[in-house]
Order: sequence, then structure tokens, then C-alpha cells
Amino acid sequence: MITFVLFSVGRAWQGFWRNAVMSLAATATMVLMLLLLAGFWIIQTGLLAGLQFTEQKVEVVAYLQPNATVPQVTALQAQLKAMPEVASVAYVDRDQALVRFRASMQAQGREDLTRYLDANPLYASIEVKMVDPSQVRVVGDALRADPSVRNVINIEDLVERVLTVTSILRTAGTVVLVIVGVIALFIIINTIRLAVLARAEEIEVMRLVGASDAFIRWPFVFEGAFVGLLGSLLTLAILAAVADPLSAFMADFFRVLPLQFGSLTRDLVALVMGAGVGLGILGSWLSVRTYLIR
Amino acid sequence: MLAEPTVTVAPASSASRFIRRRVLGRTRDQAKQERAVLILHDVTKQYPNGKLALRDVDLVIPEGDFVFLVGPSGAGKSTLIKLLIRDEVATRGAVVLDGQDVARLGRRQVPKMRRKIGIIFQDFKLLPSKSVFENVAFALEVTGTPRRKIRPAVDRVLALVGLSAQAKQTPSQLSGGEQQRTAIARALVHDPRLIIADEPTGNLDPLISWEILQLLLRINELGTTVMMATHNAEVVTALRKRVVALEEGRIIRDEVGGAYHRED
Repeated sequence: MITFVLFSVGRAWQGFWRNAVMSLAATATMVLMLLLLAGFWIIQTGLLAGLQFTEQKVEVVAYLQPNATVPQVTALQAQLKAMPEVASVAYVDRDQALVRFRASMQAQGREDLTRYLDANPLYASIEVKMVDPSQVRVVGDALRADPSVRNVINIEDLVERVLTVTSILRTAGTVVLVIVGVIALFIIINTIRLAVLARAEEIEVMRLVGASDAFIRWPFVFEGAFVGLLGSLLTLAILAAVADPLSAFMADFFRVLPLQFGSLTRDLVALVMGAGVGLGILGSWLSVRTYLIR
Repeated sequence: MLAEPTVTVAPASSASRFIRRRVLGRTRDQAKQERAVLILHDVTKQYPNGKLALRDVDLVIPEGDFVFLVGPSGAGKSTLIKLLIRDEVATRGAVVLDGQDVARLGRRQVPKMRRKIGIIFQDFKLLPSKSVFENVAFALEVTGTPRRKIRPAVDRVLALVGLSAQAKQTPSQLSGGEQQRTAIARALVHDPRLIIADEPTGNLDPLISWEILQLLLRINELGTTVMMATHNAEVVTALRKRVVALEEGRIIRDEVGGAYHRED
């Protein structure tokens, strides 16, 4: 068994270098396809993060009656927190509302007019963040039904429209990624097929002298895995080289988006290595099969 | 006056089997019954495109025989060879090699069966990037022979075909005859029961052809059964061995001591 594996790996290594042009062409194709795949995957991840960020922004704001009592407000908060659709509930009292208003006026460079007022004209409010933004209507209705609530900002229609757009974008992103994945799959498998085809003579001799299927197949499978490994390592090296300028660009472009590149890197390594080695093995397995089944 | 062609089956001489055992190191059970290396019984082969390549072929080749397979192109010689190495399976009838019906072999048994056949082609089918030694050793490596057994076995067959001195050269550095002798060495290295030579002299000039023929005859004398498909009328007629003639998929003649063409 060990002899067989050593034999196969040895022959795979030999096969790779004795047909260096073909092997390197296959590796280069592999690198290009993996870059394409990784590129689309990064875009898809960015898109999803952006959409999620947008959806998290959805919050229902209810202004409270000026005469609402503390127990009433506390009860309302507790009721909202108990709802499964609700992520968090925040109470903003009138003083905080004024502070916020002033800050936002200042940020926009406008004159603060509130200082001419005798009293604080703002209402206290409850801000509800959603677990699932599509359930915004449920929370809105619950708030409207409460007697201590003065009015609820009607964002339901807007939210539903935004959600339609985000779900279309999500689906489109996934579809494009799948299409690119399938294209990469076929091109990689075909390239490896060509490399195997160039060695048809050798396979024929092996069959004629009575080599078993395993002895014919495994060296090619290992060679495919080797092409895949080399291809994915090269791809990762290229990605690592462009990662810094790219993420600087991304951060610049999306500005507001809190993109996490830590988990992205880990997933990307798994994707590229998995696709590279997996397709290398699959490609050679399928290509050699053509010669074995007769 | 017509002389009936004699159709007989020559028994293998026990002396040649003895020599074969001594020289090629065969450790076959001596008590084993004398039997035919190859039996074709009522074999018909029709390709999927409808072409009938062989019709009702009956052929028995006993151990130690030397058989010329002759006939015009398209007569079915190549199909016959493909059936023997199980590249194709007969539509009807049985192909029995060394006591095994090749059509009934499982996928795993086919490679083992092929090791009982050494096959030689007109175009040699040597691997250009490997040396003579490596080409011959390749046949053992890919069948899982332990490394320590490979060198002595290869050295032995290279000595037999007279190529010990050229072991390190690649096929491109050899003459056509030397390339064919390398192919013969590769065919012999598994110590096969049957050597099939498909037009082995087709690419060689007459003098070299005789050299290859003499080598095949010597291998036959050492006890290995040889079946040679050829168009070389001169060689067939001169040697007076058993001749099996195919035409349009049928055996039209099978005579011991025959010539290339019918002599009646």
C-alpha cells in the first residue's frame, strides 16, 4: 500500500515535469479561473455585507405621548422585547432627543435654533431594532396599538421596497457566483483533460502490459491534485499581494460598511484550496476514466 | 491433382517447455495438464456500426506453437488481436486464453490476463522520453513488481534480445530493428504465455525483418507460443510454419507448413 502510494506520487511528480509545458499551462489556467472565482466571491461577500448593513439600519421609531408614565413606558419596552421579531429596544428621553438634534444640526453646519426656545419641543421616543426587517409591520402595529404612543413613523412601505431590491441583488449575486463557478469547473476539468490526452500513448502502453486500473489512475489523480495545489497556492499568493491595496480601495469605496476581512481571508483560503485541489483531482479522475472503461 | 492442406495441431514439445522453464524461470505446476494456450470457439464479432469483422472463427493454438496470421487488410486480423487482449468482446462465441474465458473476466482480472500476453506492434509503441531499460522496466513498475525484482528481470530480457549495451539509450537513438527488439523485450518481461506480433516487420527493411523473425523464432524455441500477423509473404513462405489465413472475417485456410499463398 505504502509502496503503491509512493509509486503513484513519484510517477505523478515525474509526469508533471516530463510534460512541463502542458502541466504549467494547466496550472496557469487553474490560477486564472481561481482568481476569477475568488474575485466574484469577494464581490459577493461585500455585497452581502452591504445588504445586511442596510437592513440592520431599519428601525421603527415611535414617539410617545408627553403624558406617558414611567410604568407605561417600561411595560411597553418589556412587551416589545418579548416579541421574537425584535432585536433591541432603546428608550430616548426628551433631553437625549434634544442633545441628538443639536448634534445633528451642528454636523450639518446649521445654526442651532433650539436655544431660542423656552422649553424642549421634542418628544421622547422608543427605537426598535429588528431581527428581521421584513417583520417591520408587526412591530409597527403593536406600537400603534399602545395608548402611550403618540405616533409611529410609517416606514413600512419603504422597508418593503428596499427589501425587494436587496433580495433581488442577493439572488443575482448568488446566480452570478454559481455561473462563474460552473465555468471555472468546466475550464479546469477540460484543461486537465488535455494534459491527460497528451499522455494517451503512455496510458495505452500501461493497459497493454497489463497495468491494473488503480496503477493507471492514481498517478494521474495525484498529478491533478498537484496541479490544483500549485494553482491554488499561486492564486493565494497573488491575492495576498493585492489584498492590501484592494481592501484600502474597498474601505474607501464603501466607507460606511464595516467589512470584516478576518473571516473573509479564512473562507477564501478554504474556497481556493478546496476548489483547486478538488477540481484537479476530479478533472484527472474523469479524464483517465475515459481510457479505463472499455 | 489437388493436395488437401493438412490441418493438424502440433503438440508442444516437452523439451522446449523444459528449456523455457529453465531460461525464463517459470514456476508453473509441472503436473498441470497439457493444454492449448488459446482457443477460439465459433467467434463472431460485429461492430456497433454493423460491420461483421469475424464470422464463426474456430482456432486452437497449442502451447509452443508458431502461427502466422495472414490475409488482406480488413480481413479481421486486427479484430482478432483486439479480442485476445480484450480490447473488444466477441459478439458470439468464446475466446479462451490459458483456460480462462476472457469475456467472463471481471474488470480486475483483465489486467492480470493481459500480463499473460506480450504484444508487439508495427509502430513499436515505445515511450520516447524513457531509455531502453526504463521502457522495459515500465511494464513491471506499472504492474506493481517489487523494485528489487525489476533490474534482474529487465537485464535478463535485454540480454535475450541482445540490447544490453544499448540499455541507457532512448528510442530516438536506436535503429528501427533495435526499437523493435526493445518492444520485444518489453513484451517478454512478464514471461507471457503468448506473444502476439502485429506486423512486427512492417516498418523494417528486409534484412532487419529477418533479424526480428529470428529473434521471434528463438523465443518460440525457448517455449513461448508466438502468433504473428503479417503481410510479409517471403518470410511466411520461407519458414513453413503453421499458417492461418483470414478473409472477410472467416478462416479460409489453416495448414501446418504452409506458404503465404494457397498452393493448390
